[in-house]
Amino acid sequence: MAYNCQAVCRSQSGPKRGTRGMEQARNYVCTECASAVPSGHKFCGACGANVPPEAQTLATRYFGALQMPGKARLIVVRGDEAMGEGLSYLLQASEHVAGREADQIPFPSDNWLSPSHANFLYRGEKLVVRDQGSLNGVYIRIRGTVPIQIGDHFMCGQQLFRVDATPKDTSGPEADQTYFYASPRHPSAFRITQVLEGGMDGIVCCAREQSVQIGREDCDINFPDDVYMSPRHARVEMSGESLALVDENSQNGTYVRIRGERELSHGDYVFLGRNLLRVEVTA
Amino acid sequence: MIVCSRCSKENQDHYKFCLGCGAELPRHSSQPKAFQGGTPPGGTPSKGRTTNAPPGRAAHAEALQMDADPLAVEDPLFAELAPLGDETAPCSHCGAQVPENFRFCHVCGHDLHAEASDGASADLPAERVSAPAVADTPFADTTRAQLILIQPDGSEGEAFPLSARGSLIGRSTGGIFANDAYLSPEHAEFRFEGDQLVVKDMESLNGVYIRIEPDVPIELFDGSIFRVGQEILCFEAPFAPDPAPDGTQHMGSPHRGYLGRISLLIGRQTTGNSYPIPPEGIHLGRERGDIVFPEDGYVSGLHCRVHSEVGHVFLTDLGSSNGTFVRVSNESYVPRGTFVLMGQQLFRAEY
Repeated sequence: MAYNCQAVCRSQSGPKRGTRGMEQARNYVCTECASAVPSGHKFCGACGANVPPEAQTLATRYFGALQMPGKARLIVVRGDEAMGEGLSYLLQASEHVAGREADQIPFPSDNWLSPSHANFLYRGEKLVVRDQGSLNGVYIRIRGTVPIQIGDHFMCGQQLFRVDATPKDTSGPEADQTYFYASPRHPSAFRITQVLEGGMDGIVCCAREQSVQIGREDCDINFPDDVYMSPRHARVEMSGESLALVDENSQNGTYVRIRGERELSHGDYVFLGRNLLRVEVTA
Repeated sequence: MIVCSRCSKENQDHYKFCLGCGAELPRHSSQPKAFQGGTPPGGTPSKGRTTNAPPGRAAHAEALQMDADPLAVEDPLFAELAPLGDETAPCSHCGAQVPENFRFCHVCGHDLHAEASDGASADLPAERVSAPAVADTPFADTTRAQLILIQPDGSEGEAFPLSARGSLIGRSTGGIFANDAYLSPEHAEFRFEGDQLVVKDMESLNGVYIRIEPDVPIELFDGSIFRVGQEILCFEAPFAPDPAPDGTQHMGSPHRGYLGRISLLIGRQTTGNSYPIPPEGIHLGRERGDIVFPEDGYVSGLHCRVHSEVGHVFLTDLGSSNGTFVRVSNESYVPRGTFVLMGQQLFRAEY
């Protein structure tokens, strides 16, 4: 400040004098001849001296990189004790690998995560998440109704499910005309299988009519002990030949395992193992 | 539908007691009789449910009648259009007036011919004599035991003698077994080991089931099969695949230390609905319990229980009306008075 004041005092070709009798130069002042140089000029108009690059453009910086437009960050909504909740990762690079042994987004204490589990990367302006061939997959919260296929996995509350085809009927008579006695059963279009921690199958529910309803109580599959499950949480239904997964405005959402990669947008939720991440994209 | 006269609740036709208040319901005359003695494998299928019942065997009662008289088709007197004789005589068994040209009593099925010609069979109680192969067999010296047929209404039917030397039964051995499409040609063999009757399953398709005593736990092993009402259930021991080589564990729903699963058998290698058994065990019933079969009228309100003790899993019948039956694995002792379920029919072993 002191230097600029002196420069103004000595300069005869400075900016027009104000009304207060003493004021600050309004532009960059040449270090060779002390002339004022307007913003954007590369050389001093008075003496031809170089104007340093930082003085040529007056770009306003963000206080922090979190404010950078077009960049996304991941906020750990539910994590394990080691990683803590509320932690966030700014996705500034082009690719960001998350996993049990990942450098960028590590979750070292979650043994449901593969060493390299998921990759958050930019394709042009868009953020996508890619399953790195993990054992347990990447799950994304669905909005409303989404198509689903035989073999797909989805999560409600703490529960994991798989959509299975109805097995081939193996109850026909023998060649010697002995009839097989099977339990009475209803025709069923598909079935929902609960997958237990450790890989064993749990509840199997064959669809009656065209749908299977999942929730805390009074549904086809009930989880009265699961405090993260809504009373009526989600259903899988068959219409025509195709299956759909419907979230019934559940409090915590329904998550479907992605195949390959999936585009993410602001407000999306991603489950990686036990960790739930929220995607925030700065506008 | 039977509307209870006491509480006005609507009950299914085959229910004996009101679901609402427990009052005894009137029998619905147009429906098959409520089941008392045993569980018919063919059953009366609930609406919308499928069974693999052979053609013409929708109702157990009908099938039994067919079984009871293989000569019926050839015997014009048995056909509905057969002319009724004018003269009648009282049946010696039930007292009904039977047209004289009838060979069997049309009320109780008593064989009037056999009575006239062969006094030996009169020893057998409440008998519905049918196949000549059985009926003509004299109560030989070698007979050490009998399988007594339990009819759908709970009454006792004819007796099938079991030889001391061993008796093979199946569809190919004729008699009351000939027309039972759920029996394999060679289904089971009964023999004696000392004083004990032993049954051996001859690798039959549908197996031999033995009714377990109420309140006596029976251990279940991986693949054990048991029967409750019309339902065939399979116990599966816990199973878990190995974790991935990189140490990643399989993700899933919370594992509450399940003891295994109970699955509904709907095909040879096919199961339908399935439920894991938590450490505290589960109850099965038609109305109460963790697993319910609301459409199976042969299942008691609370029927049986599966639980764990000292690391083993047990099945216990809780005093159900129709019993809990366990499929014999290879062979088993048959204590006196035990109910044995083979094919479509239920027997009691007497010796």
